[in-house]
Amino acid sequence: MDSQTTAVPELTLGRINTPPAQTWNYLRTNDVTLTVPRHSRAGDVYFALPRLFEGIECGVGPDATAWVESQASDARYVEVRAGERREEPIVVSGMDTGVMVRAGAEATVVVCMPSTDAIPAGIGTSGSEADGINTSAALVRIIAERDAHVSVLEFVAANEGWQHIESVGIVADDRARIDVRQFFLGAGTTVAGLACSLNGHNARFDLSCRYLGRGDDRLDINHVIRMRGKNGRTNVSESGVLDDRARKTLRATIDLVHGSAGSEGSELENVLVLSDDVTNKTMPVILCDEDDVAGNHGATIGSIGPEQIQYLRDRGLSLEEAENLYVRALFDDALIAAPNTTVRAAVVERATEVLGAELANDLVEALGLDRKGE
Amino acid sequence: MSERTRKRTQVADVDRSLYDFTYSEEGYERYDDGLTPDIVRSISAKKDEPDWMLQMRLAALDTYHAKEMAPNWGPSIAGLDMDHISTYVSPKTKQAKDWDDVPDDIKTTFERLGIPEAERESLAGVGAQYDSEIVYHNMREEVAKDGVIYTTIEDALHDPQWEPVVHEYFGKLIPPADHKFAALHYAVWSGGSFVYVPAGVKVEYPLQSYFRLNAEGAGQFEHTLIIVEEGADLHFIEGCSAPKYYEANLHAGAVELFVKDRARLRYSTIENWSKNMYNLNTKRARVAADAKMEWVSGSFGSHVSYLYPTTILAGDRSSCEFSGITFAGATQDLDTGCKVILNGADTTASVDTKSISKDGGCNTFRSSVVVGRGAANARASVSCQSLMLDDISRSDTIPAMDVRNATANVGHEATIGRISDDTVLYLMSRGCSEAEARTMVVGGFANPVSKELPLEYAVEMNNLIKLEMEGAIG
Repeated sequence: MDSQTTAVPELTLGRINTPPAQTWNYLRTNDVTLTVPRHSRAGDVYFALPRLFEGIECGVGPDATAWVESQASDARYVEVRAGERREEPIVVSGMDTGVMVRAGAEATVVVCMPSTDAIPAGIGTSGSEADGINTSAALVRIIAERDAHVSVLEFVAANEGWQHIESVGIVADDRARIDVRQFFLGAGTTVAGLACSLNGHNARFDLSCRYLGRGDDRLDINHVIRMRGKNGRTNVSESGVLDDRARKTLRATIDLVHGSAGSEGSELENVLVLSDDVTNKTMPVILCDEDDVAGNHGATIGSIGPEQIQYLRDRGLSLEEAENLYVRALFDDALIAAPNTTVRAAVVERATEVLGAELANDLVEALGLDRKGE
Repeated sequence: MSERTRKRTQVADVDRSLYDFTYSEEGYERYDDGLTPDIVRSISAKKDEPDWMLQMRLAALDTYHAKEMAPNWGPSIAGLDMDHISTYVSPKTKQAKDWDDVPDDIKTTFERLGIPEAERESLAGVGAQYDSEIVYHNMREEVAKDGVIYTTIEDALHDPQWEPVVHEYFGKLIPPADHKFAALHYAVWSGGSFVYVPAGVKVEYPLQSYFRLNAEGAGQFEHTLIIVEEGADLHFIEGCSAPKYYEANLHAGAVELFVKDRARLRYSTIENWSKNMYNLNTKRARVAADAKMEWVSGSFGSHVSYLYPTTILAGDRSSCEFSGITFAGATQDLDTGCKVILNGADTTASVDTKSISKDGGCNTFRSSVVVGRGAANARASVSCQSLMLDDISRSDTIPAMDVRNATANVGHEATIGRISDDTVLYLMSRGCSEAEARTMVVGGFANPVSKELPLEYAVEMNNLIKLEMEGAIG
């Protein structure tokens, strides 16, 4: 759907990104509330996904997921046949997307929210001239059958004029392997929720989430990994850079459900805080209902140490240049992971906004690309 | 990976015979169950309080009725019905300074708990509360000569020198509107301790208050107010126990601790309430510049606990350490942890907690570390380790961090697991039996907390845990 400038009815969505276990309400960490547009679908025929997708837990929670469903232009069901290795990525566009990866198959799912005004991806993009904020959303639910291997790549690289809601739900059967890479590089508000349930035995889930918050960006992330089958493995790694007046909340829950004997889950977050006006909230949770398991989590939150700064100064780098190194490394990583020219172009454009044209050019040249990501 | 069949550690339950004895309430003064303004007025009148305290109680009662419990909070307290709780039960005795003046049944109770012996051997002063009133209070003369005040809140309120001090500090750190059970506490509080340590005085031996709730279907609402002046040093120990009943009991105490510039306060708690107890206690410390707050906490009893001691590091270079262990057995759901607020520059906080879950017991560790904008160079680390001893128990870890200063450094780590077979095998290869090996592992797990206690209390804690390893049964 193209962006619009006419006012549409609005809806206040509460309890988005609510984690399974909650902390003190006064910390204002338990959930997030957003005002979103509500397009009427009266009279439309909506072709829903097959029923088996309905029960999949999505990271943003049931209310927000239902809203995205209600705003989606259509539903799209993609099936990767048993044993097939699908080379072409499944790109999640303006539809409620369900992906079935059959036994032993391999597939890559891409969700991208570029920064250009012409939004090719996202659901229910809309806005009003009054507040100048546009809204986009993406919803994808994935079923990975036994021995399937699914890679999920998420990119949010918009400017401050956008609020974006991204919801992902995954279930994995025996020995299925799920690799997720998330790059949250910008948007006035990014609300991203991912839930993965390792239902089968010996299933594996790896998540790398990298984020950047600057200006008045608001970033709200919820990761929920339910380990239900035996001998599952989960590794979650989050790292990010926060500057200016950015506000970030990360909730990461590893739920070792009764029956998940032999499973191990670990989660680690590293946050680099570059400004005293930043608000950084982190809530790493382990829920454990099984004894023969191992759960670990850790978090480090801080700035560049004085010794590190001195080291870099000795080599001719100013503090700003040193800080830019961290940001540049983030964009580097995103560009390397970007699966196609559309995503690369979005990352380059966002890098130009954040780092300036010169550094962005350095980035693309180092990778042998042009500014269109080709 | 093939499925593994692993042996499980069998750990005996806490031996509660030491604590599960009761005496008749015959002759006791017991107010009606429930919560009314008349009951609040009666408590206040009995204590002959200043009017400001009565007004505070009545306002808190209104707050209690007006406040709702958060619907998304912790273990259920649905079994707690204030219409079936008496908020004031008092034995027919006056406060004594000599154990010989304490009624026989009460004296026997505290003797069985080892309080008079501990007082003789290692304490600077003791307060003993039985149900709603302090029945014994004493302090060594040499400590009193240094100007240390250790008395009840009630007595301090009747002393013209200390009434203004109580008025200045009481309810300031934990306001009645803090939460529903703080409001309840301020409406019906009774007993507890007032401690004042003058500037520069270092109290060599600990002071201890012991709280015993004997009555069935009753609540205990003691208030502890401690002021440690500049450069002073104090170790305060709090012990609590109750016999088991099938009717719900309630403990909703409040502890307010003021640690002034360069002072140090260690606050140790061994809590062993019975398994019909709802332990909804609130503790808070405010720490001034260059001062240090140390918490040592052992939580073993109660049916449900909400317990999160809070430290406000208000002054520059102030610090706190929190060491805690929680043991949840059958029918227990213990929601414990701590909160640290770092507001001063160069403040440091260290949190190290352990939990053990067995026989279907549930442990939840919660923490919050909040670093304010003014807390330049603040450092905080939180470590939480949980040991699961069977597959019907539960252990959750729910930390939260809110950092608003770029120069702060905050770290958190948590692990949940069981006793490693490799560790047991290693110890067995060096001559230990399997039971001995497992005992050593669990003992070592609890050791970082027990070593923080004076020897007598470390022994009590180890007795409480009573980790008798009885071999491995699948």
